[in-house]
Amino acid sequence: METLAEIIKFINFSFSYSGSTTPILKNINLSIEEGDFVLLVGPSGCGKSTLLRCINGLIPHLYNGAYEGEVIVDGELVKNKNVNELATKVGFVFQNPENQIFMFSVEKDIVFGLENIGLERNEIDIRLKWVLHALGIEHLRYKPPYELSDGQKQRVAIAGVLAMKPKILILDEPTSLLDPRTALDFILLLGELNKKFGLTIIVVEHRIDLLTNVANKIIVLDKGEIVFKGLLKEIIKNKNLNLYGVGVPPVIALQNNLRDEDIIFDEVYLNVKDFAKEIKRRLI
Amino acid sequence: MFWLAEGLVYRRQDSIIHSLDPRVKLIISFSLFILSLFSSTIFEFTILLFAIFLLGALSKVLRRMTKTITFSLTFVIMIFVINLLVGYDLIFSIIISLRFIAIISSSSIFFLTSSPDELDLVMRSLHLPYDLIFAFVTAVRFVPVILLDAVQIIDSQRSRGLEIEKGSIFKRIRNYIPVLIPLIVQSIIRSEELAEAMESRAYGFSKKRTSYYTLHFKRRDYLILCLHFMLVVLFILLVYFFHL
Repeated sequence: METLAEIIKFINFSFSYSGSTTPILKNINLSIEEGDFVLLVGPSGCGKSTLLRCINGLIPHLYNGAYEGEVIVDGELVKNKNVNELATKVGFVFQNPENQIFMFSVEKDIVFGLENIGLERNEIDIRLKWVLHALGIEHLRYKPPYELSDGQKQRVAIAGVLAMKPKILILDEPTSLLDPRTALDFILLLGELNKKFGLTIIVVEHRIDLLTNVANKIIVLDKGEIVFKGLLKEIIKNKNLNLYGVGVPPVIALQNNLRDEDIIFDEVYLNVKDFAKEIKRRLI
Repeated sequence: MFWLAEGLVYRRQDSIIHSLDPRVKLIISFSLFILSLFSSTIFEFTILLFAIFLLGALSKVLRRMTKTITFSLTFVIMIFVINLLVGYDLIFSIIISLRFIAIISSSSIFFLTSSPDELDLVMRSLHLPYDLIFAFVTAVRFVPVILLDAVQIIDSQRSRGLEIEKGSIFKRIRNYIPVLIPLIVQSIIRSEELAEAMESRAYGFSKKRTSYYTLHFKRRDYLILCLHFMLVVLFILLVYFFHL
């Protein structure tokens, strides 16, 4: 029996795109709980994007291929549901925000998804105001997409998805087009959404250091298989992570090196500030 | 090159005409278009063109409208000369040329004063299938994006030594092949991403798609529409019944 808290479950899942003989995902067993903030990492071409597309049903409904095993989202088999039906449960934010904004204004774009699911005018109005406020983009409401910066576009893309009130938010390399400062702001926003609304979030991101403060779980994928999964704090100190092309944040690498020199810390410090405090405490 | 499009591209502006309900603008523009098709004397075209230019002046787009007409002048002259050469008399050739100008300028009134957004609303109010509306909206929405792609590709091909503006006219056309192919490929990839994003935003979820936006006629819209129809009827009466 599955518990209620388990919102995404992969059971002995494998997939290969049609025309390809090697499976892109092999024997995936995975469960993600409601409210988790999951960081999905791995080298390019390891199947991260494919894994994400299995959750919202783009696979198998838009892409053909050999589909084995089961993917269960919010208690329902993904292969029995259409992508547009799943859209109210799973929000998907793609890498390039430009290709996710269809309409001439921010407002119209947010409304687009809500009209698709056939909501009444009042309900659309309520959700529109809520999402503009939640993402801090009220001032962009009537702007056309070409007047927005990349960071703003990314927020609008999320707004359009969030307005559908999904339980799960998936983001495929959302900060790849953003400068470091905007990227950090954006990740903090995700952390806030996770805490405030209990949204389950799954993010593919190469800059792990951005996420160490907000994510609680991590999945490392390599050649289509899960090599590590579990709590971020546990996994991140594993020295083998480097083997899989995962860029361990310098502050963690430093702690690992110190451990080699027999300087042991009881805890793993995920950011420089906390680690500095600990060092100061020890030195004094 | 871009000034060509200027006569057809909407710019945000304020005027009496701009603020009308887009359906009213469409009706005005369309009825002038129809009248231009059926008019056949210099006197009729004088009135029609006067009305069209008056509308252009009221909506403050006269300058851009004349730009389109200046551009189309090459065609006008061609039409005029061909008609003369084929053996039609001078008056008839002038009328045909005037008709061409009237058709272009009357239809440009709508496009110059209505944003693509308003066009979207008009199509919704006509209950056209949403697939069609969506195709139109995204097409217009992605014009600047694809234009930007093209500029980038041209720049990158130039930096590899492609000389686009050199050689005979055929050579020049051939020079654009290395620009067009990556542009097409890039657009196909873009459209795939669009399709994914559309599906993920519940496109096609429900047969009964709701619309957050509805158009409402205001008193001013009714007034202008009445006035417009009165003038049209007057014009028809003058021309067809009193043979002026």
